[in-house]
Amino acid sequence: MTTIRRFCCNDLLRFASVNLDHLTETFNMSFYMTYLARWPDYFHVAEGPGKRIMGYIMGKVEGQGESWHGHVTAVTVAPEYRRQQLAKKLMNLLEDISDKIDKAYFVDLFVRASNTPAIKMYEKMVAKRKWLGCQFGRELLTSYKSAADGQFYLENSFFCHQIILTVLNWIEGI
Amino acid sequence: MASKFGLAGGIPERRVRPIWDAIDSRQFKNALKITTTLLSKHPHSPYALALKALILERMGKSDEALFVCLNAKELLYKNESLLMDDLTLSTLQIVFQRLDHLELATSCYEHACGKFPNNLELMMGLFNCYVREYSFVKQQQTAIKMYKLVGEERFLLWAVCSIQLQVLCGNGGEKLLLLAEGLLKKHVASHSLHEPEALIVYISILEQQAKFGDALEILTGKLGSLLMIEVDKLRIQGKLLARAGDYAAAANVYQKILELCADDWEAFLHYLGCLLEDDSSWSKENINAPIHPTKFVECKLTHLTDEVFDSCVSNASAFVQKLQGEESSNSLRNPYLAHLEIERRKYLFGKNNHDDLIEGLLQYYSRFGHLACFTSDVEAFIQVLSPEKKMEFLDKLMKNSNALSAVPTKALGQSITLLKTQELIGNMFRLSVGELEASALQMAELYCKNLPLSKDLDPQESMHGEELLSIVCNVLVQLFWRTRNLGYFVEAVMVLEFGLTIRRYVWQYKILLLHLYSHFCALSLAYERYKSLDVKNILMETVSHHILPQMLVSPLWADLSNLLKDYLKFMDDHFRESADLTFLAYRHRNYSKVIEFVQFKDRLQHSNQYLVARVEAPILQLKQSADNIEEEESILESLKCGIDFVELSNEIGSKVLTFNEDFQSRPWWTPTTEKNYLLGPFEGISYYPKENLGREANVRGTIERKSLLPRMIYLSIQSASVLHKDNSEINGSLADPKTSTELRTLLERYAKLLGFSLNDAIDVVVGASRGLNPFQAFGSDVIDWLNFAVFLNAWNLNSHELEQLGGECMHGGWHLVNSLLENYILGKVRSMEPLIHSPQGDFPMLVQIATEPLAWHGLVIQSCVRSCLPSGKKKKKSGSVDQSISSLSYAIRDAIQSLCGTLEEVAKWLQDQINSPEDKKMDNLVSSLQRNGQGEGPGQVLHLLETLMSSPNETVLGNRISEALRSWSPVDVARKIVTGQCTVLSEFCRICKSKIKSLRALKQQLAQV
Repeated sequence: MTTIRRFCCNDLLRFASVNLDHLTETFNMSFYMTYLARWPDYFHVAEGPGKRIMGYIMGKVEGQGESWHGHVTAVTVAPEYRRQQLAKKLMNLLEDISDKIDKAYFVDLFVRASNTPAIKMYEKMVAKRKWLGCQFGRELLTSYKSAADGQFYLENSFFCHQIILTVLNWIEGI
Repeated sequence: MASKFGLAGGIPERRVRPIWDAIDSRQFKNALKITTTLLSKHPHSPYALALKALILERMGKSDEALFVCLNAKELLYKNESLLMDDLTLSTLQIVFQRLDHLELATSCYEHACGKFPNNLELMMGLFNCYVREYSFVKQQQTAIKMYKLVGEERFLLWAVCSIQLQVLCGNGGEKLLLLAEGLLKKHVASHSLHEPEALIVYISILEQQAKFGDALEILTGKLGSLLMIEVDKLRIQGKLLARAGDYAAAANVYQKILELCADDWEAFLHYLGCLLEDDSSWSKENINAPIHPTKFVECKLTHLTDEVFDSCVSNASAFVQKLQGEESSNSLRNPYLAHLEIERRKYLFGKNNHDDLIEGLLQYYSRFGHLACFTSDVEAFIQVLSPEKKMEFLDKLMKNSNALSAVPTKALGQSITLLKTQELIGNMFRLSVGELEASALQMAELYCKNLPLSKDLDPQESMHGEELLSIVCNVLVQLFWRTRNLGYFVEAVMVLEFGLTIRRYVWQYKILLLHLYSHFCALSLAYERYKSLDVKNILMETVSHHILPQMLVSPLWADLSNLLKDYLKFMDDHFRESADLTFLAYRHRNYSKVIEFVQFKDRLQHSNQYLVARVEAPILQLKQSADNIEEEESILESLKCGIDFVELSNEIGSKVLTFNEDFQSRPWWTPTTEKNYLLGPFEGISYYPKENLGREANVRGTIERKSLLPRMIYLSIQSASVLHKDNSEINGSLADPKTSTELRTLLERYAKLLGFSLNDAIDVVVGASRGLNPFQAFGSDVIDWLNFAVFLNAWNLNSHELEQLGGECMHGGWHLVNSLLENYILGKVRSMEPLIHSPQGDFPMLVQIATEPLAWHGLVIQSCVRSCLPSGKKKKKSGSVDQSISSLSYAIRDAIQSLCGTLEEVAKWLQDQINSPEDKKMDNLVSSLQRNGQGEGPGQVLHLLETLMSSPNETVLGNRISEALRSWSPVDVARKIVTGQCTVLSEFCRICKSKIKSLRALKQQLAQV
């Protein structure tokens, strides 16, 4: 019941029911369009019957050397379609693209410190992962985490946490 | 190139760096200072001048900036031997762009490219200029030059995109696609392709020419491997096969997609469409295609024989069953919904009766009935059922209500679904008042009972059962519509405010409240609620319809001005930056986005709401300054005396309009901006069309009429002001024939837009003013008719043609307008109840008349008075002129008297309501909720909510909810409504008083004549 496809400009005109949610930020046009122009593979929408927008994910791939990684900029689901694991599906897709197309080393996201429901969801998500099935992966995770530990003060003046969602590829020498 | 040697625009970089640093940190004065020093050393450096221009522009000194830029440009052109670097040009380009002189930037680059024909950097800059100008042909030519120069794939694709844009968004014929294809073919043969996006463009070029076979060959060939996500590739393949008419192969491809993603609904629809050889889902999308397609999935079945249909459907069923069998998690809806779609097609083909479809729906409910999306999932299937069958389905469904899930949250979800299905089917309109009340009570009880489920949820998370209060509100509003008992209306407001007390983030409640407050003339409250939705950026295009139409006819001018300003700024900013983003897509080789961005910009540029706002913003300014003719004239001057708007009015008939408003979240009683069921008598409705369809003619008409206003106001002022200065000197001929002729033409147009010839329209207004057909003839176009009468009078002042057209004698035009305005306004004021007793009514209309036609009439009076007044410079007037002035001043005096009297009565009506004691008004609201003790009427739902919550149990509800409940105060809500209405009344009163004051001043001036 969920068609996941690339996000397109016209979707901006159809996502009101998702974005009216107070935790979903409606960015300015150049923000969305920069993502579409630069990382169209990282911007996907889930559509239900009647082409209703169920939710969407936007992200990018960035970083130098070892910190080449996928980043989830926003993920959101309309109230009508919550509690159906849609966010997870969208995240998996982004991880898949980071991994297979761009060979990124990990995927992370920032979350507003005040967005407790989302933090809980990500914590659950992270806890369930098998970090490449071995201890080494855990260490890697810790090192990534410590590097990015603490709080980030972003331009939009929200205090954010960084969460490393998954480690995708090995970095030689770690 | 220059920077390679540590030079920027020919100047050592270390000297330039501090300037950029100062600009970046917005220290413009400092930046200017350093630049001035730099210029003293390099007085003829175009780059230094460009920097200076940039700084000046940032400081808001546009004229100076342009002057300096032109100076720099001149130097560049003169500079035969020195460098022509991209840094200088791009800096100039930035400034020229910000000064809205793209053409100057382009000419700089054109000149530079002419001088250095093989400089790739400059050519890219030039290409960028053409992208900004949307000059697709020149883009193509430049890209081809670059391609020829370096042979890179990306430049070829830039050219190909430019060709595609000519065909899709310009005037280019489809033959051009052949050229694009040829270019690509040649390149592929020699260099192959390396970017997935290049392949997508190649395929789309072939697809646009219906060369599906060729496209498929490429996709399935070696180049196909560029697409790394298998499903993406399959989707293209399936579409191409289907469009080529190879439905069997296409169905196989879609089957593969479904095997990979069993939950892909669109893939299933295509799969079924292909099996049934139906091409209706491949229709072309155009710019004004609706944003929300109709829910009903179009399909064609008649071309199939019984046998073919049976065999296709049995194949589809078998496949769907397989998908259902493989689905282990039980959470995928697609395979089950697919079954419903098959049943729907069978029913449409006449292969089964309703029962199978109903059975399918019941099964779907038993599996997914607890989900909030159940009703939207099944909406399209329910639509095909006859009204009786819908009821049969509902009956069967309701029987299920005894067998709810054991999991409380699921059981609640199922119960809500049952209620929402009743709403969807329109059953709520079949219930009696008593049944509706009972149903609302039941829902409120359900809400309270399940509140403990949300005990541990974060306050920001949606609570279980939140939707119930929205449905309760819907029912209460319906009860109000039926009974006109204000209590239900107030109760609907209270229920939603109660919900927001418990959790303040529910946007659905806020939208409902926004409309309830609007209807209750507490527009300031509605606007507050709107602001709390944090509507910004693109949401302004899709969501502001909730408030904009009401604000346009309200006295809250400051808020309206902000609303319009923000919206227009957003749109204009986007139009300004869109081309830069398109170039970004070019640079990052995401070619399909290039096309998309240009098409999207077109879509927004044709937005009907944008055009309305562009017309309404100046009209608001004119309304705001209407009491002061000098201010009004300077506004008109800034609007080029309305000429551009007349042009817009001329063009609008042939302009494509897009409708981007998202009406899905509108309440049932006002499904579109044009419709408000509550304004009419109760009627049973089963379907509220929430689509934008059918609005086009209406919106076109509004824009066409409204955009004539600025010019007609301007001409009316002219017509009234020139009239006596020279009138008799030219022996009775027209003093200003141009004004008169133009105004007449516009009056003719205005009349035509109202459906009449000028003569007939005059008859209508004359008839109305004499009470022959009091206002019925005006229908819903009262404002336009009154405007017409006002401008007619203004025209007559100059032309005196009205009497010839069978209308009125010389000053009869005044009488006509006076009596129309007086009769209409006083008729309304005397029959209107205080707002607190009766929502909506004629209040918005009253505001509109006072602030539009009456205000324009006031301007005509001001203009006349001004021209009557003796001025030192003028020659002494002759006797006949004196006589004419004196006769006119009588007419003006009468007009002033009439307007003043009318406005004073309006102001008194307003003042009485404002002064009425707050307690009394609040009492009126609260008492409307008092129950009559017989278990019926309004107030029961609120009472139930309050009783159940009167002593909240903290252990059951949790601390947060209990605390919220304790803070609930219906009296506060009542006070808020009273205050909200008072704000609107006071604003209107202020406007009326200002008009009275200005009219009185005119009267005094006139007394001196």
